[in-house]
Amino acid sequence: MRYRSLEFLLGAGLTGAMVLAVLLSDLLFAGGADAMDLAMRLTLPFQSWPHPLGTDPLGRDVLARVVSGGQVSLTVGVLSVATAATAGTVAGLVAGYYRGAWDMVLMRWADVQLALPFILVALTFAAILGTDMWKLILFMAIAQWVQYARVVRSATIALRERDFVVAAQAVGVRDPAIIFRHILPNAAAPVLVLMTLNVANNILLESSLTFLGLGIDPMIPSWGGMLADGRTYLQTAWWVSVFPGLAIMLTVLGLNLLGDWLRDRTDPTTRSAP
Amino acid sequence: MGRFLAQRFALAVFVVFVVTLLVAWAIRLSGDPAVMLAEGSSSFSAQDLRNIRAALGLDRPFWAQYAGFVAGMLTGDMGRSFMGGVPVAKMVAQALPLTLLLALLSLAVSLLISVPLGVQAAVHRGGWSDQAIRIVSLLGLSFPNFWLAIMLVLVFSIALGWLPPSGAEGFAGLVMPVATMAIILSATNVRLVRTAMLETLGAQYITVARSKGLSETVVLYKHALRNCAIPLITFIGLQFGGLIGGVVVVERVFNWPGMGSLAFDAVASRDYPVLQAVVTVLAAMIVLVNLLVDVLYGLVDPRVRGT
Amino acid sequence: MRVRLMLSTAVLALSAVTAPVLAPPAGAAGTLTIAQAQDPNTWDPISTFLIAWGAVASNMFDGLVLRDEQLTLKPGLATSWEVLDEGMRLRFKLRQGVTFHNGEPFDAEAVRFTMTRLLGPEGAKGPQQSNYTSIGSVEVLDPYTVDIVLKRPDPVMISKLAGYGAMIVPPKYTAEKGSAEFGQHPVGTGPFKVTGYENKVSLTLEPSAGHWDGKPKLDKVVYRFIVEPNTQVAELQAGRVDVASNVPIALIPAITASPSLHLLSTTGPTVTVLRFNTANGPTRDERVRRAMVMAVDREAIVKQILQGHAKAVTSFQSTLSFGFDPAQKPVPFDPAGAKKLLAEAKLPPGTVVSLDFRSNDTTFREVAQAIAGYLTAAGLKAQVRPFEMNLFTNDIIPNGKTGEMFQMGWGGWTFDYDNTAYLMYHSGEHWNPYDKDAGLDAMLEGQRRIADRGEREKALQKIANFVADHALELPLYNVDTYYGVNRRVKGLVVPPDNRFRLIGTSVE
Repeated sequence: MRYRSLEFLLGAGLTGAMVLAVLLSDLLFAGGADAMDLAMRLTLPFQSWPHPLGTDPLGRDVLARVVSGGQVSLTVGVLSVATAATAGTVAGLVAGYYRGAWDMVLMRWADVQLALPFILVALTFAAILGTDMWKLILFMAIAQWVQYARVVRSATIALRERDFVVAAQAVGVRDPAIIFRHILPNAAAPVLVLMTLNVANNILLESSLTFLGLGIDPMIPSWGGMLADGRTYLQTAWWVSVFPGLAIMLTVLGLNLLGDWLRDRTDPTTRSAP
Repeated sequence: MGRFLAQRFALAVFVVFVVTLLVAWAIRLSGDPAVMLAEGSSSFSAQDLRNIRAALGLDRPFWAQYAGFVAGMLTGDMGRSFMGGVPVAKMVAQALPLTLLLALLSLAVSLLISVPLGVQAAVHRGGWSDQAIRIVSLLGLSFPNFWLAIMLVLVFSIALGWLPPSGAEGFAGLVMPVATMAIILSATNVRLVRTAMLETLGAQYITVARSKGLSETVVLYKHALRNCAIPLITFIGLQFGGLIGGVVVVERVFNWPGMGSLAFDAVASRDYPVLQAVVTVLAAMIVLVNLLVDVLYGLVDPRVRGT
Repeated sequence: MRVRLMLSTAVLALSAVTAPVLAPPAGAAGTLTIAQAQDPNTWDPISTFLIAWGAVASNMFDGLVLRDEQLTLKPGLATSWEVLDEGMRLRFKLRQGVTFHNGEPFDAEAVRFTMTRLLGPEGAKGPQQSNYTSIGSVEVLDPYTVDIVLKRPDPVMISKLAGYGAMIVPPKYTAEKGSAEFGQHPVGTGPFKVTGYENKVSLTLEPSAGHWDGKPKLDKVVYRFIVEPNTQVAELQAGRVDVASNVPIALIPAITASPSLHLLSTTGPTVTVLRFNTANGPTRDERVRRAMVMAVDREAIVKQILQGHAKAVTSFQSTLSFGFDPAQKPVPFDPAGAKKLLAEAKLPPGTVVSLDFRSNDTTFREVAQAIAGYLTAAGLKAQVRPFEMNLFTNDIIPNGKTGEMFQMGWGGWTFDYDNTAYLMYHSGEHWNPYDKDAGLDAMLEGQRRIADRGEREKALQKIANFVADHALELPLYNVDTYYGVNRRVKGLVVPPDNRFRLIGTSVE
């Protein structure tokens, strides 16, 4: 149990600190993230107080940009996952509990989506529709709800046959109550795991899309965008992409530690395991 | 079982059909390959564009174009690329093996890394090695593949001069692309193996096997791991699409002339025949892999066959 | 465990399949390896417009005229030419004893075949035909004398005969193979012949015996198509390519710092400007446009971001361009004046202006942000919007869906301001969604009818000044053509139009 709580402390600490810094970024660096000074471009980190982490190719403060860059990255990561998970869970519960025609339609559509490599779909749609943050979130949610739907559906199918559900049905408990009180809590564990993994994934996905030339407005800092834009500077000015990379790393670490801890507390099978 | 298979197969064909329709429709939403071909010349007229469109067969209605494409695919003729008139079948035949090589090899290497680590973590659950393995595996989830790829190039090609920075050139050219993909895949797979192992280790037959006095290695790798195979295979099936997606980016950094590069160029130049063919082939492959998984699943667990 | 076995069997089977594709790299003595981003996919002269095509194909084809690295026109397959009938008839004396790589002889018939093909139905399928529509007919006088008769005066025609669509192709071979097949196995009269081509991977050239312009010193030239600029430079640093064509600005210091590499550069053909939406929004007002031109420090952008590898321009052309006016003065950087002008125009502070650009241009990505920074400093609120290239050039610009400003890079390989000005400012042109000015249209049409070089130059300069006076665009810079080159390469002359002739080049 000693490690369990360490996991929680570390996870909550890291995630909390990141979220706090990002929320307060507007206060901490009022206007600092956009202030440009070409004469100060690519200042080395750890050399001067005004720019503790150096400056980027336009002479903007890297620290200010990393901290405010979290706004876009975390919004993209969290909102896309929340949307996808909600839609997918509802679809999965309905399909798994009622089966029949809806199950058939939903699952075939899921098959179609799983057969399309996401990056190609994103590439095509980003090319056609252009990109901004909201479109990016929408792309990700549309691409990923299927994963949740499949996981929840298979858990629901298994749970439906379990004694406590059958018993509840026998005494006349209504369907929504059964679904939300008995099935959802028992199917939540894999969803949570998937969610924590996907938040990280989607923060990185934004970076990959910028790499492929399909990112959002570069004036708005985001970790993924900074990482992608800094890649050509890795040989000559490493700090431009390493610090946003570090921010992603700490966030991913924090979120996943928290996710693991949460899962251990909610998943009945691992809870009973030795 | 025969009926189950026939049903599954029919569904797979249906899925691929829907995918082709979606792609053919989406790629035509914006951009005009004729303008793409014409714009570099110092001036062009509406008549020039009409000529080029007619030459590419784009003056026909969408349904005629789509029907032509499907008929072509069924007879093995994938048409010609808009850019240079190269037969698409030739391009795909060149690119597909290279992409499969990359994808499958990465998957294999990632399993070689993640199975022993995942088992180790599960067996020593909560111990220091479990913590270390899980935290290190999280690092693999913390950077995008292109970034890892560039770092590998900086170290192994530029600083050390051991490996070629790009190109599909035998074994040396494979090392870094495979390493990039495998490292990132392993991060997820380690955690998956660990979870699956934990569930199995709690089961009765493991306790029985242990009480029979079998050695721990035999218990773990023969009895426990075999029972983890099902969730693992399912997940790999699901992962396959993502794996192919990751290849697009990795292929670009390492200039690997595979399906990803082909698709990327095709989107950029609105090369309809190439994009349609590439997506259809990839989708067919992904569907096939998932079909295999379903069949394996059905063989093991008769309840699934009812779906 | 069975899974693993299955996989490894599959991999083994696959490696057997792919073995022939995985060719070993070049890099030996006498072999020059060049990395470039794009594979044109076809080498047929009538089917392409890409600089990537010209960069390679100038070694495998000849035109009637040859343009050297100083952009002077010299005899090519024609030893001399004269202009007759007040510019309406061009008479060429052809070189004798020249053969194509496949042994077919070169003569007047080949010239007629090439031009007829370019202007006929086969040419109509490609983008080159429209460049040569001023040609009316080709008349063969004797096997080594040919006349090109024009339908209307075309002062740039002789230059156009030095490249792209007018490269001479062998009649028999081309007619037999058809365009698609010819594109994969091209045959010309150039100093090098194609000995290997693998789509999107590489193209190999070897010297063709007895070329009229001399024997190449190289044994072999290998072009490798590498999309990612980072990867090109990595290959250059690893010593596996000798020339990297697309060096990102960020990596220039890494090249100049290496003892074995250096940077070769020359004035390039491409000029980049920001064009204004002169039809709608705040930039309809000429004062707002002028204020925006004053608000941006071009010299700082060139010096700091482009590391001096560009020259600030005053109009949409380089100093090499015909029509360049050395007397034209740049608008000085004047943020205070800009603010004043904006106030005069009664534009509320914080008005949003957006700057649209091509998302695959990593250098301009930085420039765009810098410009937005300057405009913000002048009291506007500038946003930057990247667009996918195809969408941008086929929809956003021609259909007038841009924001207040949009990026435009242009520069025909003919280095004639007409090539830019007419397409950008004449009303109704594809690239001109906004400007409509009868006076400007008249000037643009008028200069095309002037036969006298000096007079036409003055007319072009007048157009450039008109555009600057009305602030139709925010002129930026003419970026250099530069290459990262291994020092073992000798005698490589970087041409401003990217069209390398590798006859005098050698490697140690």
